[in-house]
Amino acid sequence: MSDPTVSIKNLKFRYRGEKKIALDDISLDINKGEFMVIMGASEAGKSTLSTCINGLIPHYTRGAIKGEVIVQGVNTQESSVPQLAENVGIVFQDFEAQLFSTNVELEVAFGPENFAIPREEIGLRIEENLKYVGLEDFRDRPPFTLSGGQKQKLAIASVLAMKPTILVMDEPTTDLDPISKQGVFDITNQLRQRDDITLIAVEHETEEALYADRIALIQDGKLVRVGPMEEILREVDLLEKLGVMPLGIPKFYKMMGHPELPLTTDEGLKAFAETGWKVDESKYAQIVAKEKQAAQHDEQPLLQCRNVEHVYPNGVKALNGIDLDIYEGEIVAIVGQNGSGKTTLAKHLNALLIPTNGEVKVNGLDTEEQGVFKIGQKVGYVFQNPDHQIFSELVYDEVAFGPRLREIPEEEVDQRVKEALEAVGLTGFEEEDPFSLTKSGRQRVAVASVLAVKPDVLILDEPTTGLDYKEQRSMMDMVRRLNEQGSTIIFVTHHMWVVAEYAHKVFVIKDGQILLDGTTRDVFAQEETLKDSFLRPPHFVQFNNQLGKTFLYPEEMISCINRS
Amino acid sequence: MNIDFYLDIDTPIHRLDGRTKILLFLFSFLALVLFEDPRFILPIALLILLQNFLARAWINIWRIRILLTILTITSVIMWNVFASGETHLFWFVDLESMLYSFARTMLILFMIISGMNLLSTTRNEELVLGMIKLGLPYRVGFAISTALRMVPTISGSIYTISQAQRSRGLDLESGSILERIRKYIPLLIPVFISTIRGTNVFGMALESKGFGAREDRTFYLKMEIARRDFITLGFSLVVYILCLYLNFQDYGDIAGLTKF
Repeated sequence: MSDPTVSIKNLKFRYRGEKKIALDDISLDINKGEFMVIMGASEAGKSTLSTCINGLIPHYTRGAIKGEVIVQGVNTQESSVPQLAENVGIVFQDFEAQLFSTNVELEVAFGPENFAIPREEIGLRIEENLKYVGLEDFRDRPPFTLSGGQKQKLAIASVLAMKPTILVMDEPTTDLDPISKQGVFDITNQLRQRDDITLIAVEHETEEALYADRIALIQDGKLVRVGPMEEILREVDLLEKLGVMPLGIPKFYKMMGHPELPLTTDEGLKAFAETGWKVDESKYAQIVAKEKQAAQHDEQPLLQCRNVEHVYPNGVKALNGIDLDIYEGEIVAIVGQNGSGKTTLAKHLNALLIPTNGEVKVNGLDTEEQGVFKIGQKVGYVFQNPDHQIFSELVYDEVAFGPRLREIPEEEVDQRVKEALEAVGLTGFEEEDPFSLTKSGRQRVAVASVLAVKPDVLILDEPTTGLDYKEQRSMMDMVRRLNEQGSTIIFVTHHMWVVAEYAHKVFVIKDGQILLDGTTRDVFAQEETLKDSFLRPPHFVQFNNQLGKTFLYPEEMISCINRS
Repeated sequence: MNIDFYLDIDTPIHRLDGRTKILLFLFSFLALVLFEDPRFILPIALLILLQNFLARAWINIWRIRILLTILTITSVIMWNVFASGETHLFWFVDLESMLYSFARTMLILFMIISGMNLLSTTRNEELVLGMIKLGLPYRVGFAISTALRMVPTISGSIYTISQAQRSRGLDLESGSILERIRKYIPLLIPVFISTIRGTNVFGMALESKGFGAREDRTFYLKMEIARRDFITLGFSLVVYILCLYLNFQDYGDIAGLTKF
């Protein structure tokens, strides 16, 4: 076998000022032209490992390092980040922070400029790479006016313009809608066929890992397994144990005790035909009927939008005639492409934004007349990034902030803080510093601080973004418990499996209008229409749609299977 | 929410070379500080307004109108307090101090307007390149442009954070001044922390794109001094020399003014 492009030998790393070791004796060779995906739970060391490859560790982020990383024969510790950048390009998750120019062309030019590439050559590279990622018509646009998917494609183009032989991507698609995700991976896949480039990606989403040649699984800084994609993705139990979401299709077959585990939709369909299993029509009809009944409402809706329009001060029309009803006790998902208007819509429901035309009513009261202080009491809003609201030194004070502002007596505040922390599973953390918690812990503090105000409705903006599978599950299980205790839940998300398993009802937003709405099952059955708004159901649901029944998750399907 | 002062339009001022626009700003600044008498400042101010008109950049001045109003009021009051003259008008205001306060206020306002003219018509990259061509080291130029670039990012996060805290029941509009200042703590800490986190990724992204990899560097943006630049610069140089001449001839001072 030829020399590996990247060779990691007994790598250990500890961040400065931390006790815990971040990488613990990792040895891994990555071959030329290979696509390696690194997976594992949050804080397992995936991003740490990926930033070791281009020398950001140890040159930019300091700490104690042992072992070595050899990139094309160069020891990263003896080189520097800008020097390594000529061979190793990196794309980050945060697409805002990695773009710094005022127009698309100059953004692509920035890397080559630093390497003193002649001007004419830079011109050619801009041309080639913008065409490659499909942004050639946007060359004069300021990057911040692009959609999330376009920004990430631009980030890739700007890295490719440096002609790297290795491309590292640290969760490049976390904040993207499903079709934009696929777009990013299609681009990288073509790239590999064209240039023989080596790809290394950190990914949370298993469906995206299907593009990989090999997968490395990491837990607590240790390399647990590395092997061919087909082999690793069939290890359903191991993945689940490591906090990585297993694919629905192999999971289903594994739970059915099937010896062969298909991975993709096509393989799944083929295997299903061979087994001779039958879906029990009457059981399926029962599930559907029960759902239909639950969706019937005689009472007044709790939240009501009538012909809601919103025009931002800069003239952008974000909402264009929204009509919707949300009833008490529902779990509602709002989905749509990046920039479709879903967050704008959600902000109308608790009076953070007031419609420029039309009306929003909460419990029959107009949000414009009531204002955010009063409506906020009934409708709590958890922002996407918990760091946008946490400011206290103690978890207790953070959660008590809302009730105290509403001048609730201190004994009752105490009671509410206790209840809220219990609901989010943070009992005992009262005296902790919220900033020392993990992302998922901070997210929980944010939810608790909204719960302490005792709203009837809870809006969560992207509650599962940036969390690993285990954390996503426990976050959503908590949300479901709150719902069972009487809260009405509305959440905005890109994670289709979360919608499939947890939402009762779905609103699909496109260009500020409602494209589709209905029970989750009805909405996910309409794959073609969903595609128009850059969405697609999880593979497992697609597989079922082709079988003619829309099952949302493996357990549901299993309960309706007759073996023959 | 993203605020950028650069206006992507085509005007005679936009078409000028980056260096010309920076020098215009410098000339405006140097000319404004020469005089104490508002009557001498007025022509310079009118030229700055002309530039603003030609650049169609009025909208950016309108955007900062509140800041400008506050500055005007405080500056007029302050300079009347810190200067006095011989012709008493009313209360603590003398004719000489009044004129002086107008002059100082015009100085501040028109410096800002002139700066706004620069930012409205010059791309960030053009500004950096202009500064470098005028002799500033690349890193310094880049640092200045990064600082300018941070403004819209930070104001964007202030907007999101204030929404987050308002939805939790924070009311920023009531209470005494002291109370209101205290209420800003829940805004400032998250702004501070998210800015620091953002800066960290920014630094990583910068290094990963080979920033500072070599001594030399290509600039993709082309800059060429054209005839219009010579005309503009020639004109402003003449105006500036005229100002200097008047200043040496002791014009533009206010007789009988005492500054503290």
